[in-house]
Amino acid sequence: MSRELPAEDPLVRMQRDLKRALKKKPKEIQWGMVIDIAKCIGCHACTIGCVAENKLPPGVVYRVVLEEETGHYPQVRRRFVPRPCLHCQNPPCVKACPVTATWKTEQGVVIVDYNRCIGCRYCLVACPYSARTSDFAEWYTEGTPDLAGKLVGRKAAANGYEAHPAAEYGKKWPDRDHDSPVGNARKCHFCLHRLKVGMLPACTTTCIGRATIFGDRSDPQSLVSEMIGSPRVFRLKEELGTLPAVYYLK
Amino acid sequence: MFTEKHFRYVIILAVAGLIIGTWGMGARLLYGHKYMDYGSFVPWGLWVAFDLFFLGLTAGAYIVSVLTYGFRIRLFAALGPLSVFALLVTLLCEGIIISLDLGHPLRIYRFLLSPNFGSMLFWLVAFIVAMWIIYLTTFFLLLREQLVAWSRDEKRPGHKIYRLLAGGRSDYTEADRARDHRRVRIMSYISMPIGLLFFGMHGAVFAILLNRPLWNGAMTPFLFIMAALLSGGALITFLTYLFHPRDDLVQPLGRIVLGLLATFLFLEALQFFVGYQSKVPNFVASLDLIAFGPFWWNFWVLHLLIGSAIPIYILITRANDTKAVSWACFLILVTFFAVRLNYLIPDLAVYKLEGLQNTFFSHRLRTDYVPNFNEWLVSIWVISLGLLTFFLGMRWLPVEAAGMEEEEHV
Ligand code: SF4
Ligand code: SF4
Repeated sequence: MSRELPAEDPLVRMQRDLKRALKKKPKEIQWGMVIDIAKCIGCHACTIGCVAENKLPPGVVYRVVLEEETGHYPQVRRRFVPRPCLHCQNPPCVKACPVTATWKTEQGVVIVDYNRCIGCRYCLVACPYSARTSDFAEWYTEGTPDLAGKLVGRKAAANGYEAHPAAEYGKKWPDRDHDSPVGNARKCHFCLHRLKVGMLPACTTTCIGRATIFGDRSDPQSLVSEMIGSPRVFRLKEELGTLPAVYYLK
Repeated sequence: MFTEKHFRYVIILAVAGLIIGTWGMGARLLYGHKYMDYGSFVPWGLWVAFDLFFLGLTAGAYIVSVLTYGFRIRLFAALGPLSVFALLVTLLCEGIIISLDLGHPLRIYRFLLSPNFGSMLFWLVAFIVAMWIIYLTTFFLLLREQLVAWSRDEKRPGHKIYRLLAGGRSDYTEADRARDHRRVRIMSYISMPIGLLFFGMHGAVFAILLNRPLWNGAMTPFLFIMAALLSGGALITFLTYLFHPRDDLVQPLGRIVLGLLATFLFLEALQFFVGYQSKVPNFVASLDLIAFGPFWWNFWVLHLLIGSAIPIYILITRANDTKAVSWACFLILVTFFAVRLNYLIPDLAVYKLEGLQNTFFSHRLRTDYVPNFNEWLVSIWVISLGLLTFFLGMRWLPVEAAGMEEEEHV
């Protein structure tokens, strides 16, 4: 496609980048993300998209949109900073975990093994970005009265959403009672289960401002690599040396 | 002095605590963490503070056993078995409360199957296990002679159980005694570095976290060692008063506790000084929370007034009054929990990213943590179990009898 033509939707390009990446050997891929703050309108669609995709219960959230206010009246500005797990290349959470229940994959994604995690929450304390949350076995539909046999009520509502197993890590997680992921540390995993089948992460596809760019950092032709090369690029709390794989554009 | 009447009161109190606490235990065991109030921004709450408190208390017994068996200082020899028993009971309480704090306590075997040797928490657990092994063995060796004696006393209820506890032995010779004491000494030598690493590692769990300015720093492990020695020393002094109210034991212990308290307060003052001078916003915010936050009284009234100023006054002006010294140590001991809470919560209670408080509504994603009723009930249950184990153990195990002849053996 010629560069002179009206620019294509970045989603189309990212989809193409993704296809190309998936043809590579897995260990040659380095997933990464760039978030263009100038484009984020603070709609929180990515947060909701992520919650819906991963069937997240109350209190568990992988991607939030921070609202920062600067200046003094009348010179006040507000900017929005979406914050997923930053998939640090030097992740304090991984070093903290006493039972190696969380680690960095060869593709640069920090994941949690729900069946190994003992729920000590040390990783929550260690993450400088508050990107991990613990699952306290809560239900959004809790307290909703149940009417047997009707389409309304707790069970019907839960069946439509909460009782559906989440597909995280490509597994069907059982009902939310005592079993994992209840009692575990949970976090963004770049929608690995979607990537596997050629789909972009839910936050990326739901971002209406196209502020979220995802792809293979090790592919110089990818949009994500191009963006990382921007002079506007910065990373959160860079001074801590965590080397996030999620970059921001000022 | 601990009389039969006191014993009855303590047992009634402990049983009542167990009964009341059952409600909270039920909530925890049936519904997991659902009805507890900590969340994801303050992931560690009351139970972890109690964990720090209990682990710290073990240090008193550590000093006594190292001084007695390691350095062969006779003065505290009578306290040997008592202090080792106190250490084991506090480790038991710690083990229970921290297991209840885990999301999946039954997966504890993971520490063996998939250990992370780079994790401070892994090493803390490893040292806790080492302390269990060292002090359980020491306790057995210290009590064996009396266990054999009790097992031979046919009139004593449960003498067969004592035989079992004594490893089935019915005689105990002079050679056995010498051998057991040699082993106790070896255990004590091993415990010297292990204990220091254990208390230091406890601090290291917090010290390495770069994003937590109140905790991060090389001084934290040292602060933890001092905190442990202080609270543990106060515990042992008070227990000595209860079970061996001898002036020559309690008063020197009181002087040691006074020195430890002064050192601890100095370190604490340094932490405040450095924090406020650094002007790092999160650091200052945490210190402000301690000193001027909604729980300011925890710091000023419980810790500084009741737990420090009053005990210092008593320990200086009434240094030769055994009873006063012991009660001063009791004040330090009970208020030390406030110190642990004050250390743990304020750093967690500061948002580490600007705007985080406005992102997503959930009571789990808030920093204003206050322990709820269930958390207190579970803590009461664990403390009551500890009290019951300790006082029944003092009655049913030859702990006091084993301490009586210790001086000669050391
Ligand atoms: S952002 Fe937090 S959870 Fe994600 S990799 Fe970094 S330290 Fe770990
Ligand atoms: S909560 Fe789970 S993943 Fe996090 S440190 Fe503990 S065991 Fe590891």
